[in-house]
Amino acid sequence: MKLGVVKAYLKKEFIDLWRSKMIVMVYLIPMMVVILFGYGIRMEVTHSRTVIIDRDNTKMSQEIIRAFSTTKYFDTKVLNITDNEALRLIKQNKADLFIIIPHNFEKNLMHSRNAEIAVYIDGSFPLRATTLEGYVQGVFLNQLEKNGVKVPFKINQRNFFNESMRDENGIIPGLIGLTMLIAPAIIAALLIVKEKEAGTIFNFYSSPVSKIEFLIAKLTPPFILYSFNTFILFLIAVYIFKVPFKGSFLLYFLASEIYIVISIGIGLLVSIITSRQVTALVLTVLITVIPGFLYSGILMPISSMTGESYIEAHMFPVMYYNHLLYDAFLIAQGFNSPKNVEYFFILIFYAAALLFIGSLLLKKELK
Amino acid sequence: MLEVKNVTVKYKNIVGVRNVSFKADSGEIIGFIGADGAGKSSTMHAIAGVKRFEGEIIFRGQVYHSPKEAEKIKPQLSLMPQGLGLVLYDNLSVKEHFEFFRNIREVKRDIEYEKRLLNMAGLYEFQDRLAGHLSGGMRQKLSLILALLPRPKLLILDEPTTGVDPISRRELWDIVDGFRKKEGIIALISTAYMQEAEKMDKLLLFDEGEVIARGKADELKESIKDYTYEGEIESEDCFSFNNRTYSLKPLNLKKASPLLEGVFFVNALKKGKKNLKIELEEKEAKLSEVVVKAEGLTKKFGSFIADDHVDLELKSGEILGLLGANGAGKTTFMKMLLGLYPIDEGELYLLGKRIKSYEDRLELKSKIGYMSQRFALYEEMSVKENMEYFAKMHDLSPKETKEKIEYFSTLFGFKKYLNDFPKDLPLGINQRFSLSVALLHEPVVLFLDEPTSGVDTIARATFWKFLREIKEKWKISILITTHYMSEAEYCDRVVVLKRGKKIVDDEVKKLHEKFPGLSFEEIFIKYYEGSA
Ligand SMILES: Nc1ncnc2c1ncn2[C@@H]1O[C@H](COP(=O)(O)OP(=O)(O)OP(=O)(O)O)[C@@H](O)[C@H]1O
Ligand SMILES: [Mg+2]
Repeated sequence: MKLGVVKAYLKKEFIDLWRSKMIVMVYLIPMMVVILFGYGIRMEVTHSRTVIIDRDNTKMSQEIIRAFSTTKYFDTKVLNITDNEALRLIKQNKADLFIIIPHNFEKNLMHSRNAEIAVYIDGSFPLRATTLEGYVQGVFLNQLEKNGVKVPFKINQRNFFNESMRDENGIIPGLIGLTMLIAPAIIAALLIVKEKEAGTIFNFYSSPVSKIEFLIAKLTPPFILYSFNTFILFLIAVYIFKVPFKGSFLLYFLASEIYIVISIGIGLLVSIITSRQVTALVLTVLITVIPGFLYSGILMPISSMTGESYIEAHMFPVMYYNHLLYDAFLIAQGFNSPKNVEYFFILIFYAAALLFIGSLLLKKELK
Repeated sequence: MLEVKNVTVKYKNIVGVRNVSFKADSGEIIGFIGADGAGKSSTMHAIAGVKRFEGEIIFRGQVYHSPKEAEKIKPQLSLMPQGLGLVLYDNLSVKEHFEFFRNIREVKRDIEYEKRLLNMAGLYEFQDRLAGHLSGGMRQKLSLILALLPRPKLLILDEPTTGVDPISRRELWDIVDGFRKKEGIIALISTAYMQEAEKMDKLLLFDEGEVIARGKADELKESIKDYTYEGEIESEDCFSFNNRTYSLKPLNLKKASPLLEGVFFVNALKKGKKNLKIELEEKEAKLSEVVVKAEGLTKKFGSFIADDHVDLELKSGEILGLLGANGAGKTTFMKMLLGLYPIDEGELYLLGKRIKSYEDRLELKSKIGYMSQRFALYEEMSVKENMEYFAKMHDLSPKETKEKIEYFSTLFGFKKYLNDFPKDLPLGINQRFSLSVALLHEPVVLFLDEPTSGVDTIARATFWKFLREIKEKWKISILITTHYMSEAEYCDRVVVLKRGKKIVDDEVKKLHEKFPGLSFEEIFIKYYEGSA
């Protein structure tokens, strides 16, 4: 490897990032995503307009209603209406959710029979709906536990660790994971495809510059730039959103660095099969956003996934990083947990594999 | 020293070039000539090792069959691909380009040599300017001297002089010529300028993916002398351009000495191609006597004055050539006329109306057609989709659009490329359909910025015929820039800019009267070098 060549390329890359103002994108977009989504999600889920229909009218049902009325997450109204009327309220956007406590609810519970409550949530904003669902479960769970009832329904893992039930605690690390998947991939892909589109790629194709030199020159800038982003996003999480950071910063940092490499590796693969910037951008977003959201644990805890989606979740690197991320922020088992160690190595494997495949597929020739 | 054996280059569904073989000795310059899309670039890409191919290439004893195997010759090679400064980074200055190329090619800094290159390209005083702020020709010259920087043993230049002014073209030639004598390099150069081609040691004539003729320029010319006549006539069975007429059937005209470009016409005739008839219907246009009037137009970029108090009048039904060396301010001037750059000083009247604001221009929009030097086409859309898109912008009905696309693609011969993306097409083909886009909405004034640069001879001939026809029948006024001095002969009047100042504004006829016996190129150079 010729160091002088790499240095020259790197210098050009940084000058270009700076003068083309792409650098703004590198830092502004991840920050904006975390801050806007962070706030956006938080505001959506407080004071949701809740209608409770109490058909049981027992001590327990009263207690449950009280529990709902005392949190800031729900603005509770107790109404005596039919299911259809309640549904209409949601349709007219006069309520966000309603809960029906059926007749004999307490009695069924006490006799360990199947006790069902009905919860209807406005699903027009799925993310909010899932979050609300988690809350409702949480309130019930708390309430029943107080009464010494063993509950048959599944517990949202996120809320489990998120004792104060602060939504930010779950959402913000998830958002960090999401941005760290999407953003470096986009920049890496664009840096290469831009040269294809402009024609400057000929400088690489027709010169003695080697594939390794080119790759180092192209992938180092996004890596370095996003490494700083891990600090920035950490500070945003801890100081702006007051997410507790209980675990090891080292784990957070190392896992993030590896994750950036993974993301860049995805960008590299995209850049190999595309030749226009727009296509590269769209493709990168498609590839990263969907698994990024699905398997980040923001929408749905992995533990509650079944069958195919469980397998799919394990196929993408997203889940492993998010697990480590949640551990660093909320759980703090660090490398003491064998699972974390395993996940850590799985991430390293992904990073190495992506870079390897990318450098094999990269060709110094026109399509 | 360079041996190319049976090289074939294939793309997804077409063959770029088939079974090319030739040999070149060190110190030789091999010229590639032929129509746009004939396979010149494909051959160059194969030899440069940037495109997969079938066959075998041997350079200085190194044998290669693929880009991978070609790696070993890359330290000795420079490739300048086709396009206006394709290899430049818009955000890097001239100086930074030198540093970058010096480092990636691992050459020691040779201040004297670099200075010579920069001077030759006329860029010495613009070293701090970003490549994105250079004029089209300046970009081209910068790419060329960057290709020369590592002193390659094999120099591959794909239309290096497209958009380069006549004076620089001569200098470029001198440098490449001197270089090959001194360093014994092999240069492969494609060009659309036949004067240049004449100077090369050997020519390969490409047509539809094959080499159909080869030899010295004189030999090629010799082969068509029976078909060359003096003067220009209008007929389906012969082509006329540059005061020559080429015909397979004997004509009742005086024979003339053939020009190299005649090779293309004769070849087309032999293939049974007809000279397209262009006959338009007479249209009445009520226009003011003067369609564009610029008084003292001035444009400054920082302290640099790109256009310095330029006066210009474009009269109704006139073709006005805007000439000048690279960086003289032609494109900048046109952009001011179009409102793409704000005017720093001076007054502008379009179709008799004083232009002060954006609103003033809006209602004129449908009357003006523009073709930019670096085309503004959408790379994500196919040629056809691009044309449909622009037609929609001008409120053409779907039926009209279809007719227009059919008409122009036949006229300018790009029908078979309609479903391709602009990026994948030869420069000359892109030029043709950019021009069609500018004409779609039947404007009354046309601003054309180097519409014929990089376009092959036959298409240029068709194009000029078309321009003269729309001028005469539709009374369209045309302001056009070109670096083909022979094309200036087709203009009614020329304005020459030099470093942002107007130095000539006269009728072509009068200029010829003033300098009898000189070609227009010679007249131009006389003015430019200040000896007129
Ligand atoms: N945005 C800009 N900033 C600084 N300088 C500029 C800018 N745009 C153009 N120039 C300079 O203005 C001068 C005139 O450029 P222009 O493009 O008008 O030349 P031209 O006559 O069209 O040349 P060519 O024949 O090469 O196309 C050049 O020196 C160019 O570098
Ligand atoms: Mg120009």
